[in-house]
Amino acid sequence: MTTTSMFKSQADRPVARRPWLSRWSDPDDTTLAVMLLAPAAILLGVMIVYPVSRLIYTSFLDLSLTSGLPARFAGLANFRQMPDDPVFWQATWNTVLITLITVPGSLVVGFALALLANLPFQVKWPVRLSLLIPWALPLSFAGLIFGWFFHSEYGVVNDVLGRIGLPRVIWFNSPRLAFAAICLAIIWKASSFMAMIILAGLQTIPRSLYEAADVDGAGRMRQFFEITLPLLKPTIVVALIFRTITALQTFDIPYMMTGGGPGTETATLAMYIHQNTVSFLDLGYGSALAVVMFGLSMLVTALYLRMIRGSGAAS
Amino acid sequence: MSSGRISKLAGLLLACATAAFASGASAETNLKVFVTSQGQPAIWRTLLDQYEARNPGIKVSIELGGTTSDMQAQYLNTVLTAKDSSLDVLMLDVIRPAQFAAAGWTSPIASDMSSYLRAYAEANTIDGKVVALPAFADSMFLYYRKDLLDKYGLQPPKTWDELADAAKKVADGENNPNLQGLSFQGKAIEGAVCTFLVPYWSQGKVVTKDGKLDFDREAATKSLALWKGFADSGVAKKNIAEVATDDTRKEFQAGNVLFAVNWAYAWAMSQGAESAVAGKVGVARLPAIKGGEQATCLGGWEWGVSAFSKHQEEAKKLVEYLSSPEVSKFVAINGSLLPTYGKLYKDADVTRAVPWFADAQGIVETAKPRPVTPRYNEVSEAIRTTVNAVLAGATTPADGAAQIEARLKRIIR
Repeated sequence: MTTTSMFKSQADRPVARRPWLSRWSDPDDTTLAVMLLAPAAILLGVMIVYPVSRLIYTSFLDLSLTSGLPARFAGLANFRQMPDDPVFWQATWNTVLITLITVPGSLVVGFALALLANLPFQVKWPVRLSLLIPWALPLSFAGLIFGWFFHSEYGVVNDVLGRIGLPRVIWFNSPRLAFAAICLAIIWKASSFMAMIILAGLQTIPRSLYEAADVDGAGRMRQFFEITLPLLKPTIVVALIFRTITALQTFDIPYMMTGGGPGTETATLAMYIHQNTVSFLDLGYGSALAVVMFGLSMLVTALYLRMIRGSGAAS
Repeated sequence: MSSGRISKLAGLLLACATAAFASGASAETNLKVFVTSQGQPAIWRTLLDQYEARNPGIKVSIELGGTTSDMQAQYLNTVLTAKDSSLDVLMLDVIRPAQFAAAGWTSPIASDMSSYLRAYAEANTIDGKVVALPAFADSMFLYYRKDLLDKYGLQPPKTWDELADAAKKVADGENNPNLQGLSFQGKAIEGAVCTFLVPYWSQGKVVTKDGKLDFDREAATKSLALWKGFADSGVAKKNIAEVATDDTRKEFQAGNVLFAVNWAYAWAMSQGAESAVAGKVGVARLPAIKGGEQATCLGGWEWGVSAFSKHQEEAKKLVEYLSSPEVSKFVAINGSLLPTYGKLYKDADVTRAVPWFADAQGIVETAKPRPVTPRYNEVSEAIRTTVNAVLAGATTPADGAAQIEARLKRIIR
């Protein structure tokens, strides 16, 4: 290789002949964009795109590990099975009901807690800590704890009822009472999450607005509805999206409290998916159920996003 | 000078230690055995210690999991679906070998099954292949308070009606609000499947015949109504839908139960130092529906070798030991776990420890197996959640029986 030929080729294709190190240390715009996006794209691909595509693919298979047969393409057979499956309807209905009850429930309780924590306390940490604890507790622990609270013989709830002269109740014998107990546990657990997000939002509202309102003679209620609520709207919508999606995926608390009982009266869709895949090893049907839940979550998220866009355009 | 000598000595020691460590690590095989936490792990640990002493180079550790049979199955399903090689030997409920063999999760074992009780030879042989070896036998029995029955001049009941009458008589006489007449399993656990099947079988009915569903809805309604009747009439407690197998054992052991439906393991603990009823317990065959036969549910646990174990030969050798007459006798004496070999039921050492085992062989041999199908988990779920719903009062016995039938029709075609 001679020196002249080297110079010549460099003049022809200057970019291609640049040493690879300088391409990394001083990249052009396109390379830089690819480099910066690659980690996120790879992570999304591995953690989300691949599993979701695989899930959708499996939902079209007849794949049950108990059959001893290899996977077979089954078209929509798994989806066609759902309308005739009473447990599917019950679990879906319970999931929707849990969402409709616990999302507004935890918003109201969480809002109240946030307003309380936002009061000018001398020492702030005990309030903050007690807000944080329910959120920091693993879901299954919360389920276990509330399961014991409501146990008919050893539970503290019946103990208190007995002490104040009320009849003791077998909570988990009644589908409605068991469901109510589950909702209570979820609201307790989720309220602290809502409260923390709302508290963060409250602290971004400048005090000067309230001082101005005071000067103008607006009462506390008026201030809440005219200042606090409108300025918190974006925060609340974000909190609601997170809360609604986790509510649709409710698993741990009812699983630990009632196991779906009595019978299958308090089972949720996530529990039914778990049962079909982990216990029954019917991966095809389990995946199809999971696709339905995924669709449900997407639908709700889309609705919220529309809501945000609507509010953004209005302001 | 002295420091040089010390460093030389230290170097030598280090070299020796490294050599010893290296040779020890290369010669040793580590086996991991999965034992259900309800399966008296301490007794198996003693046996494994003996095995390690006799087999240098083999170390066996126990992994515990699953407080109930169904929780255990959920865990093993996850591990084995992932083809995880961390478990070598698996303790399996008698209902599992058929499912695990169908899924290809256990390795076949070349073994002669003729010396075991026939029920276990059958449960562990799938399509002519031995897929697991018996750990211990079991069936459901009626535990009763001998002292209380004697006090009121009563005999162990032969029918469920007699049991209800006896419970009422004792309850009236004792006037103890904490004393339950009967404890059985109403929680939606595997044991509740047997709760349903015992009175169902007692009416001469079967669930499957030649692999086809042969369900009798009327007999099923009667079975569910029997248990619900016990809860309604106060013979069993009102929250019986919350009671799992070990709750029955604990409450009986605390002296709060007259009659209890339970497996053989409850005996050893009822005679232990922490028991309020040691020396006051009798064990009998489960009662029958009036006009029917006395039926019971076949239980027992098996040892399987994981198909994903990297130590197949060592694991099979260990399983053969754990299933040997020597071990069966040891767990019978120390854990009141029923022998899997017929000859051990009359063994003097065994009957000295557990006198009623002398009469138990006939009961175990006539105990009925739960339906054998690879889709057993679905069968089990359909039955146990319905038993639970009926006992909680969320469903009537007739509706419950119809639900079981409808769900079984979708599973067993």
